[in-house]
Amino acid sequence: MLRRSVVKELLKTGSGRVGSIFFLVLIGISIYVVATYPLDFGVRSWRNPAVWADYPKAAPPVWTNLLSNLRSAEHQVLDKSQPTQILMGETSRTNVYEFRTNFLSDEPPTLISFTLAGVTFYERSPLLNIRFIRPDQNQLLLYSFVVPGPTAGEQAPIKRYYETPLRVALSNERSAISAVADFSRSSLGVDVDTAQLTREGILKILFSSPEAGHFRILKGVYAVQVAVELYDSRDSVGSLRLVLGGSTFGVLGTDSIGRDLAVGILFGFPVALFIGLVTSTLTTLVGAFAGIVSGYFGGKTDTLIQRVSDILNNIPLLPILIFLAFIFGQNLFVIIFVLIAFSWPGLTVIMRSMVLQIKSEQFVEAARVLGASRMKIVVQHIFPQTAPYVLAQMIFLAPAAILAEAALSFLGLGDPSIPTWGQILESGFRSGAVYVGFWWWIIPPGLLIIFTAMTFVLIALGLEPAVNPRLRRLR
Amino acid sequence: MGVARVLTVRGATLFGVLVAVLLILVVTLGATGVSDRLLNAQVSETLREQRQSLAQTIRDPDQLEKVLESKKQELLQFYGLDRPWYQRLPDAIIRVFTLDLGSARTLRTVGGSSKVSELIFERLPNTIILVTTALAITAIIGLWVGVRLAVKVGSRLDRAVSYLSAASNALPSWWTGIIFILIFSVQLHLLPIGGIFSAPSPSDIFGKVLDVVWHAILPILTLVAISVGGWTYSVRTMVLNTAQEEFVTAARAKGLPESIVMRRHILRVAAPPIATSLILGLAGSLGGAILTETVFNWPGMGRLFYEGILSFDEAVVVGLTFMFTVIYVVARFLLEVLYIVLDPRVRY
Repeated sequence: MLRRSVVKELLKTGSGRVGSIFFLVLIGISIYVVATYPLDFGVRSWRNPAVWADYPKAAPPVWTNLLSNLRSAEHQVLDKSQPTQILMGETSRTNVYEFRTNFLSDEPPTLISFTLAGVTFYERSPLLNIRFIRPDQNQLLLYSFVVPGPTAGEQAPIKRYYETPLRVALSNERSAISAVADFSRSSLGVDVDTAQLTREGILKILFSSPEAGHFRILKGVYAVQVAVELYDSRDSVGSLRLVLGGSTFGVLGTDSIGRDLAVGILFGFPVALFIGLVTSTLTTLVGAFAGIVSGYFGGKTDTLIQRVSDILNNIPLLPILIFLAFIFGQNLFVIIFVLIAFSWPGLTVIMRSMVLQIKSEQFVEAARVLGASRMKIVVQHIFPQTAPYVLAQMIFLAPAAILAEAALSFLGLGDPSIPTWGQILESGFRSGAVYVGFWWWIIPPGLLIIFTAMTFVLIALGLEPAVNPRLRRLR
Repeated sequence: MGVARVLTVRGATLFGVLVAVLLILVVTLGATGVSDRLLNAQVSETLREQRQSLAQTIRDPDQLEKVLESKKQELLQFYGLDRPWYQRLPDAIIRVFTLDLGSARTLRTVGGSSKVSELIFERLPNTIILVTTALAITAIIGLWVGVRLAVKVGSRLDRAVSYLSAASNALPSWWTGIIFILIFSVQLHLLPIGGIFSAPSPSDIFGKVLDVVWHAILPILTLVAISVGGWTYSVRTMVLNTAQEEFVTAARAKGLPESIVMRRHILRVAAPPIATSLILGLAGSLGGAILTETVFNWPGMGRLFYEGILSFDEAVVVGLTFMFTVIYVVARFLLEVLYIVLDPRVRY
């Protein structure tokens, strides 16, 4: 059958059409991810807790706000690299960076952190002052900091925080806590001791005003001003970041160490496709080749191939897969290799019987009489006859491979350098997310595994009429 | 072909499976040096025990060391550690075959034993209870619904089941189990989240049995949910294929009531292929059991597998891989016998 007519047949059936659309979606997302993500994403980002330090832990997706009456704080990351204002003094110049946010939640943020990167200075160390300005115009100096001066023998220009930025968790900083205690006493008229603040956090007071004995969230525009005092015209500041930790985050939420689940889940798309397509293609190649050899050449080779595939076909796959992945280390390519090694015989058995049947047909005999070589007969006359069937089998093998890898990952045998949906689920299961109801960690990766596997199943179903002419007549 | 011959042919393949798995196990262990590590662990454990008992009789430390050294050489020779791994293969095969795999690293039985074989045999019944119950329920539902679907081909229910069975090809059992936990245990608080007994467990036998059943509902539901669609669909297709044969038309033409046509003509003939599809689904059920037990903390061999992986315990993983193969081979053989009982063409 011609290639074009297979596609035509596929698009004739409903499941074929749906499957093809799903497949295009998968391909599109995968191309986007491969183009934008670094290849060592797993090691450099996903498995590196430092990357996720500024993210809220176990936060549900932002859109869950729509479902509840209480509006929760949204996670905000505010970046600034240019000063909002430059104040010139006699001996110094002050760069003021102002971060503003319209705060409308019914609960305080979960954290405030401040990050400074890339400071260069010549004469004196720059001085940082962080002011917190509330909608009611009350304000306080939250935190002060002097960039460490030159060490012995260090020459100007002196560079700081280029390699590792300075990160200050303001909400846990001791000086910030006592500043808030003073502020509460003087401006709000409420006495709180620092021990209590350390325990309960300063954010509840920073983001609320006292009303009839208890604190009520104050909504409105908050501003955080970072003033950097520089003493030389050549001094410069790279970039600043302010993070207001929310209890909701992004489209898919975060896991218990703050990883943005959307990022990990996106990375899973090309990986799942890779596992499915590579395993099914190679399995099909091996299986079809062995089947043709077995059927066409017969004899001892045939017997040997049949016995081996008979045995391999009957080995329960998951236990042996667990064993081999366990002993040979958690490597995606080992897993793919083992999957191929144990799944080719299924196709071989069927290919052999098809080849036996085709071999005895008249056009093959005619080709042989005309003097065609064995190679030519196989390639030109026998293989094309089986091609649609081989294609359908290949597509059916893909979901099996994806599910097998996911199962292994779930048992803790996934490749740690390449995050997959199965691994995201595994970390959710192992850290007990299921039992505390962190559904956003559990449901999306599972649904995507099903979606991807389903895509291949639908395409295979859509191909059935093309492969099995009897079915075509029945419909 | 006689019964004996058929059974021998089928048995030979299954025996081949067992041998192949044994070979994969021992060759992998030998070539990667894991077998050396396992045996050395066994030697040093034996030596530690002997040191304690010998220290009471031999007071002189030098002499004690000398005796222990000779014991050690004896043991190394006994386990074949003085020879390369490929010469030890026969020993290794026997050792795996008899589950003589030494002690687990951290896992213990309820009674406190660390022997791998005791660990496995303690968990074996729990797995068998789970898998057989789930298989029986699936088979009954599949037969009952599948036959009814075959009568109403093309109905809405029939199409729904066709799609569901296709979809269950794409459904991971463990994820389904987790979702069941989320819905029935965490949200609705209807059923326990896992385990096999409540804490504290009821004291009387009747209460204990009820308690186990109570804990088994969700795992069994999971196993049934993932396999019932495909199984129903294959029963329906087999029945449908048979129903189109001419002898069925003849039976109907004779005026036989539909129930008799279904039972004596269609089902009797469709039984062997139905049994075949049950046989083919068995490996999947065992795999599903490993994952489902893990999810529900059901103390069977599947959960032990997971615990063995987490504690990096090679001996436990090896023992379980082999044990699952044995269970599979034995169950397969029993089903082959069932097939022969069902298919008179094989018997006569």
